[in-house]
Amino acid sequence: MRTQNSRVTPPKKLIVVSSMVMLLGLSLAACGTDSDTTQTTASTSASSSVASTAATADAGSVVASAEAFAATLTDDQKASLQQEYSFENAQKWSNLPQALLRGGQGRIGLQLSDLDDTRIVALDTLLQAVTGSAAGDGYDEIQQLLNADDYLAANGGGTDYGRGNYYIAFLGTPSDSGTWELQFGGHHLAFANTYVDGALVGSTPSFRGVEPFGTFEQNGTSNSPLANEQSSFAEMLAGMSTEELATAKLDSVYSDLVLKPGNDWAFPTTKEGVQVSTFTPEQKQLVMAAIATYVDDIDDADAATILAKYESELDQTYVSYSGSTGVTEQNDYVRIDGPSVWIEFSMQHGIVLSGNHPHSVWRDRTTDYGGTQE
Amino acid sequence: MLVLSSIGLWLIGGTAQAHVLPTTTIELDVRAAEIDAALTIPLSDLEAASGIDLGSAGQSGIDAHSSELLDYLENHFAPTTLDGRPWAVTFDELNLSSAEDLGTGIYDTLTTAAHLVPPAGADERSFDLGYDAVIHRVVTHVVMVTVRSDWSTGTIDSGREIGTVGVDSVTGDITPLTVHLDDGSAWQGFVSMVSLGITHIREGTDHQLFLLTLLLPAPLLVAARRWGGPARPGVAVRKIAAITLAFTVGHSVTLALGTIGFPVPQQPVEVLIAISILVAAVHAVVPIFAGREAFTAGIFGLVHGLAFSATLTELDLTGGQLAVSLLGFNIGIELMQLAVVAAVLPPLIVLARTRIYHPVRAAAAVLAAAAAAGWVFDRVGFPNIVADAADSLADVTPYVVAALWIAAVAVAVLLLRGRLVGTAGPDAFRKGEDRRQGRVVRGRAPRHAQMDRQGLVEHPQEVHMRGGHVLRD
Repeated sequence: MRTQNSRVTPPKKLIVVSSMVMLLGLSLAACGTDSDTTQTTASTSASSSVASTAATADAGSVVASAEAFAATLTDDQKASLQQEYSFENAQKWSNLPQALLRGGQGRIGLQLSDLDDTRIVALDTLLQAVTGSAAGDGYDEIQQLLNADDYLAANGGGTDYGRGNYYIAFLGTPSDSGTWELQFGGHHLAFANTYVDGALVGSTPSFRGVEPFGTFEQNGTSNSPLANEQSSFAEMLAGMSTEELATAKLDSVYSDLVLKPGNDWAFPTTKEGVQVSTFTPEQKQLVMAAIATYVDDIDDADAATILAKYESELDQTYVSYSGSTGVTEQNDYVRIDGPSVWIEFSMQHGIVLSGNHPHSVWRDRTTDYGGTQE
Repeated sequence: MLVLSSIGLWLIGGTAQAHVLPTTTIELDVRAAEIDAALTIPLSDLEAASGIDLGSAGQSGIDAHSSELLDYLENHFAPTTLDGRPWAVTFDELNLSSAEDLGTGIYDTLTTAAHLVPPAGADERSFDLGYDAVIHRVVTHVVMVTVRSDWSTGTIDSGREIGTVGVDSVTGDITPLTVHLDDGSAWQGFVSMVSLGITHIREGTDHQLFLLTLLLPAPLLVAARRWGGPARPGVAVRKIAAITLAFTVGHSVTLALGTIGFPVPQQPVEVLIAISILVAAVHAVVPIFAGREAFTAGIFGLVHGLAFSATLTELDLTGGQLAVSLLGFNIGIELMQLAVVAAVLPPLIVLARTRIYHPVRAAAAVLAAAAAAGWVFDRVGFPNIVADAADSLADVTPYVVAALWIAAVAVAVLLLRGRLVGTAGPDAFRKGEDRRQGRVVRGRAPRHAQMDRQGLVEHPQEVHMRGGHVLRD
């Protein structure tokens, strides 16, 4: 047995004991500190200039519709909606869901989940003003694509999917003078209308994709987005002769779009495939019908103008494909490449669901982003 | 066997890259005389490009077509020196695996390792990759090239992208990739190994805990087969030095053996390490191998060294690089160990002089034993919350060390001011003492004994007055 000779005065001993206990207690408390640091990536938000309410645009114009929509918003929402016009901001679109976009590459603008029903109605009014009225294209197609994302959310995709994850932004203040872009999109959807001095100068890049591809029920209606795109390509190829198809067939395999999101102003210098000048009028009609499934996505008046332009350039336009002519299998690929028009359609394997699904993009060699290159 | 590897698509950088599609990855391991390239190729794109239909037979499909696949790979992987001389390329076996990129879902892959050997006299660190498998045909495919390890630049298990290979949409041509590896040196490799050793101990909670638990009773002397009063600091330091040295020798031996190829059974070693902490914890409460601490530390050092060697064997080094790495890694381990001992020892020696040290030591030993027990169960296959808590002990260590020092400084101040009488050990009687005086029982200090000032100062006036024995000041 050991004894110790410690004749310290009680108060001092108490101090020592209590200080040690306190310090040990502190260190044990430190056990609870979580030293994890979560890296939050700050997504760039451009300067927030409030949308001008002194609207002098005539009613029915896009600017009026845009301002009307902005007027329904709270100040915070307006600040999100109104972004700066720049090439960098214009490039912030993708086919990926927002949740999969990393490190500042995410979409900017106002997220649809922030909008109540009244404001959604106001947004729909705006969208109707800038999109085509044909069934299966334009506004109808956008609604079907939003339904598709809701379908994915409810069938395995989870909260990364769904219409709430789509964004609307004004790049630059909507006005009849100067440059601004109406940017709308989300998973599998990108809409970019660029206006200069009140006129639509660019309606591309325009991305449309969908999963599930085929007919599905969602939100009380039957949907089959991109069905007319796919069938028009199949009909176009079906209308070509064996020799024409041989010329049109590309040796390479295309598992994706060539001018996918991010690959801007990188149009091929050489055109491949069969030249449409060799086509019969009926065959040319089929090419125009395929092109129209994209151009008709924008408002009817502007679509007509653009289609007229593309039609006038048909003789210098090339059609090509890879894979099978049915345009249903993985790696099936179709391209329309003209002096201006550029459309690609690529069939890919399923991501959230099984079953192939298409990605497609409409670009314009001269008016992508309204011509803005940097 | 499913191997899920997630390749960070943010490696690509730039503007909105939207890879929903699988990419080929080439991970380079730069070795002394060759470069190993780990290829992971999405299976469906490989089939589309090569025209080889592997069916859905899995690995047996790959085995059935292995010569065609090898031919294909050989035709499409031809690295050359910058002036066009070809490197030699050989492939290991082809395996079926799985991978997942951001947003792609899981997809089947072909994996293999290619050994790239430069021609004699050629620059091993700058060469044209000469790779166009898959992308020569699937023109939308992308190949990502990274450096995974490069000993002479101190790169270990990295994912640093050095380039991509793909088709330029404007020209339709493949943009070739010229690999320029950073300049390296044996010194850089050595330094990175030292750093690895330091990190290994810094993050090696169990190794640290073993050492510290062993040191807990080190400043004390044994008295009647229990822990008694404090040893003189000189003795304590020498004892601790012996323990540390023995541990070092032990782990150095097995580190070397394990690294040069001695088979190391991972799981048993991990369990033994946990047991070693348990033993040390028991010893910290009741001396079970008093006088043989150094020997025990050496034995357990052998066990810990086997665990250390696992880190080095993973690097798969040879020759001069292996020797330098062994030296550097061991030095790193020693440095961190020394830091741990230096951080903990002085306060322990000071605190050992107080009465509070015994319960504190016991409490710490019990905690260490609990952690060790949790680890033992975890490592034989029963995960438990004690082990999880023990794994996060490393987060607490700085606070504990700070607490020790603050307490030690407080105690030292109080001791020096003469306001605290600590434990008397037999050493206290060593100097200036008349041994005939003592009705001294070992471990018990008589009331008014002359005492070495270092530990014990008691009412100086009183002592002066008694019997003429003069205290040393």
